[in-house]
Amino acid sequence: MKSFYRIILLVSVCLSATSLVNAEENKAKQPEAKELLQRLSHSLKQLNFSTSFVVVKNNQAEPYHWFHGVDQNNAELEILSLLNGPRRDILRKGDVISYIEPELPPYSVLASHISGPIPSILTKDISELESSYDFVSVGRSRVLGRPAQLIRIVSKDQHRFGHWLWVDQNTGLLLKLAVITKKGQLLEQVQFTHLDITEQPSESIKQLQTAELPHVVDLPKTNQVKKLNWQVTWVPDSFKQLKANRHRINLSKQAVEFMMYSDGLVEFSVYVNPSKDKDRPAEFVMDGATVVLNQAANGFEISVVGKIPTGTAKKIANSVVIGITSRLGK
Amino acid sequence: MSESKFEKVSSLVDYYIDSEQQTNAALDKLSKDSHLSAAWDRYHLIGDVLRNDVPQELQLDLSAQIAAAIAQEPTVLAPSSSKNTPSQFIDNLKSKVVQFAKPFGSIAIAASAAGLMVLGVQQNVAVNDTIMPAQVVQTVPFGGTANPVSLNFQQPDRAIKKQAYIEQQRRFQALLSDHQQQIKLKSILVQSSTDEASIDSSKNTEQ
Repeated sequence: MKSFYRIILLVSVCLSATSLVNAEENKAKQPEAKELLQRLSHSLKQLNFSTSFVVVKNNQAEPYHWFHGVDQNNAELEILSLLNGPRRDILRKGDVISYIEPELPPYSVLASHISGPIPSILTKDISELESSYDFVSVGRSRVLGRPAQLIRIVSKDQHRFGHWLWVDQNTGLLLKLAVITKKGQLLEQVQFTHLDITEQPSESIKQLQTAELPHVVDLPKTNQVKKLNWQVTWVPDSFKQLKANRHRINLSKQAVEFMMYSDGLVEFSVYVNPSKDKDRPAEFVMDGATVVLNQAANGFEISVVGKIPTGTAKKIANSVVIGITSRLGK
Repeated sequence: MSESKFEKVSSLVDYYIDSEQQTNAALDKLSKDSHLSAAWDRYHLIGDVLRNDVPQELQLDLSAQIAAAIAQEPTVLAPSSSKNTPSQFIDNLKSKVVQFAKPFGSIAIAASAAGLMVLGVQQNVAVNDTIMPAQVVQTVPFGGTANPVSLNFQQPDRAIKKQAYIEQQRRFQALLSDHQQQIKLKSILVQSSTDEASIDSSKNTEQ
């Protein structure tokens, strides 16, 4: 009997020892998440790959094809196409990015990244996000038939969503991305369905090299204004104003005053315009993780759009103060 | 064959018969009359060709093939229970044991069924997890309180509300697409142009 107890004691000692080791491993993992994200950024910029992914939101799936290559001058070449419905293509040659969409004639802009379903910060310096997010490496799993490392980008406060990233262990590329609420509800995800990494850029990229892109446009009907006559008096920490202007909304032809804020990972827009309805309670819709919130107060319509929780959008909308000396004022 | 008979089939194919009784009567006739059922096949084929719905390989008579396949299947006969066996005693004992064990057996089956159900439910949840929550693409009043909707509920201004709803949906759509457009233009320095007149004029009309 005694020996039996001894065995139990031995086993429990062993178990506690292993759990201690595990705890230490977890501690060591903290910086690893950032390294993985840095590697991801490097891989997304430097590798020649052709890949497909679907964006799943609102019970719908949008399939995309994405080619990426680097030419001999180290300039990035990219093609991102939506495969269902009317053609939506984004082409990139270095700093020139062309958008081909049904709503507008094709146009090009000068920018440092394409703006698609993958947040652009993932190709940049991730440490920009450190003030408002924690990076946590969670564990390994199998995604797209490959061993993957799950990294969570967790918000430090209640005012934004978390992003979960599954990153390929071998290549460092993205395999899956999910936008998750604080309570763990899945709002939107990008699932890669195919991934080819090659030494040389693919045929499509080679064709793009010789293709001529649309002219770079001066932006029409936009007016960068230093100061509008209203203010957003509350935004979550580390959201910075990117721009403020007056323009017309393409679909409704409504003239609006507009501000855009970003915390590096997500953006939200605030729109203010005179309204027919004097007061209208706030209403909202969700498009995946993107909330569109709209309300009217004192004859002004205030709208907030972005990948932020509804509560945050509501708080931002309520914080808009329209200046007393405003030309908008009645 | 009278022409009117075929007319019935034709309207049946095109869902033109309203009453259920007539439909049943027509179907009944159809199943008994080989001429009519041939017409039924033909009309469907005509319809498919007109709608450009014809598959690559046309199998004109599926029903005949199925009938042939059924005819070829081996017939399974239930083994007859042997009653007058010499070892009556053992049989009796067996049935006792079976009677005794039966409740446990059914409990076991019930338990495994419950297990299956639990598995099924978990499976369901897991699937939902990986696909999507049912996100609303529809106006939700902010407080989360929906208007009571019932047959008795009087809504004299329903049309107005519907109009407002449609307008709101359009507004949402416009805002969403503008937001996405603005993100694309986010990283660009804008050359200023004067477009203030437009918004000013829209303001003036409000005042």
